Amino acid sequence: MLTSDNTSRRVMALYMGTGLALTALMMFAGLMLRASQAGWMPMSPGQFYAVLTLHGAVVIVALMLCGMGGLWFLMRRQTSLSAATTLITYACIAAGAVAVIAATLFGGFAGLYTFLAPLPFHGSWPYWSTGAFLVGMTLITIGWMAWCMQMLGAVLRAYGGALGALAWDFVWHRKAFDASGKPLPPPEAFPALMAGFDGMLAGMSAMLLGVALVVRWLDARVLINPLWAKNLTYFFAHTYANLIIYMLAALIYVGLPYATGRKYHTSTALVVGWWCSMLLTLTNYFHHLYMDFVQPGPFQYLGELSSYLSAVPVTVVTIFSALMLVWRSGMKWTLGAIFMYTGLIGWVVGGIGAEIDATVPFNVHLHNTLWVPAHFHTYLVGGCVLFAVGWVFLCLESRSMRRTGALLRWLIGLLTFGGMAVFLMGFYCAGAYGVPRRYAIEPPPGPELAKIASIGATVMIIGFALAFAEGVRLRFGYPDQEGDMRIEQGG
Amino acid sequence: MSVAVKLLVMFLVFASAAIAIFLAVAYSTHLPVSEQHDVQQHGYAIRGRWFLALVLFLIASFAASIPFYPYMSATAALAPARKVPVIAEQYAFIMPSRLPVDKPIIFEVTSRDVNHDFGIYNPQGHLIAQVQAMPDYTNYLRVIFHAPGQYTARCLEYCGVGHAIMAKTFTVGGK
Repeated sequence: MLTSDNTSRRVMALYMGTGLALTALMMFAGLMLRASQAGWMPMSPGQFYAVLTLHGAVVIVALMLCGMGGLWFLMRRQTSLSAATTLITYACIAAGAVAVIAATLFGGFAGLYTFLAPLPFHGSWPYWSTGAFLVGMTLITIGWMAWCMQMLGAVLRAYGGALGALAWDFVWHRKAFDASGKPLPPPEAFPALMAGFDGMLAGMSAMLLGVALVVRWLDARVLINPLWAKNLTYFFAHTYANLIIYMLAALIYVGLPYATGRKYHTSTALVVGWWCSMLLTLTNYFHHLYMDFVQPGPFQYLGELSSYLSAVPVTVVTIFSALMLVWRSGMKWTLGAIFMYTGLIGWVVGGIGAEIDATVPFNVHLHNTLWVPAHFHTYLVGGCVLFAVGWVFLCLESRSMRRTGALLRWLIGLLTFGGMAVFLMGFYCAGAYGVPRRYAIEPPPGPELAKIASIGATVMIIGFALAFAEGVRLRFGYPDQEGDMRIEQGG
Repeated sequence: MSVAVKLLVMFLVFASAAIAIFLAVAYSTHLPVSEQHDVQQHGYAIRGRWFLALVLFLIASFAASIPFYPYMSATAALAPARKVPVIAEQYAFIMPSRLPVDKPIIFEVTSRDVNHDFGIYNPQGHLIAQVQAMPDYTNYLRVIFHAPGQYTARCLEYCGVGHAIMAKTFTVGGK
């Protein structure tokens, strides 16, 4: 059963529209930060770190909204998902985002989006802004958990409980499963299950930490163990970041088959790959604590091993299958296909940078240098943003009577990806030269590399702006009578 | 060439190889169209080999990295070494200004207020060692400085608006 009713489309448009708009604003905020490091835009350290806090927190929320909206739309076609509940979720997250924006822009809160305890209580910003930031993040987490609960419930109901949603019998008792006539979850149901389950666990740890910090904010006598807080912080933050990628990668499972005219089926490899991803995502956060030598030793080994192994399901299943879909498919390189396919490259290249950093002896030389933002910007801007933009373009192209000319596609591609490569290499080179991250004023060669990165980021933003204008043109090319969304599994 | 620059070269090699594969697949869309069934038949065989090669490579890399972990073994902790306390606070390191060359040193690193990171840069500006400085905990970092000169400790964990100025220079060697 495939539905693409107006309500689904509007909910998706609300989530993805808000998410992409916030992402665009945060690209400008990020450009300001790099320009400031380059010495081109004077900012006081207080302003710099408040904007950095805003940039990090809002980008995570923005891309989370894109993933939530896209995955909700995909799963609504085959499961029972309430639009009203999703709108309440949206309102909760929006209220949280407003509090975060107020805390940083008006309150000057600069405890960063990781707000490592006890830093939020040792800052030069007003005390109310710490409270506003913490309440805002708590509201965002409540909204996120409500969405996870809704998604998890829908998937479990649709496919016959946990074993059905995991396709357990499909893998281990294939003949009995085939004979039973039970529905087999489609590929996009696995990221939905993972987002629901892992997202709930991450949300719970965020709530636990959030409540502890709010209590500490209310009563300064309350003590919080910094190692405990650090583990909880990185558990939920790393899991959120991973889930954003996996949620947006679900769009590949529907978008690429549409673009290539081929089918993407649930296979044993895909199911087992998602089982592994569900588990490994929960344990690889330990790599954030390699330089905390008081962390119990086995966790450090587990962190490296699970970080390594998490590359296996991604590259062997999702990426490899995507390459097989495209290989000699005669796919037309529309903007939607270009963005989505290039997003796969960003995911892989960012993953290579992440795996290098996840190696303990290498982490000694890279931890908290600009190598860290280098790799996560690669898979957030070069992966997640491109998946979301690619999906939007596939939707527009599926309904518009207009087409994008080859020259414009080349121009957008060259500006966006060329600028992005320069912008990212600024980070990677600075990381390799030991330039620390989160420095308002960087030691050499940071400022020189920040200049190059700022130019790259500007060119990339011009490319995205051109793409936006083209998207608007395509939107005005819809036929008078609105038809159903044409993107369906397998084209 | 510092370790980190070598890592950058390694990254560029791997990333270039991955991008080349993507470009080759993208180019294949201009070739005559193949049936999906045929693509899958060949693709699954390659995928099986890729899976094996990747898993073996990753497990071998994991095993090879273990001897280079920076964590002190019980034997190393008991070996003779000069103990150097380092106290981090917003926005300074309290520690000696001169340290010996070619002698094992164990830095006992802690913090008076928030989380910091004690990152040591050698005279060439390469980051050679680091450990977190945490309130309520002491982290032990073992270092032997083989070259004399002016070293710099920088904070590598964001600790507030003065984070970027939190540095301490110290001399290794000499009197």
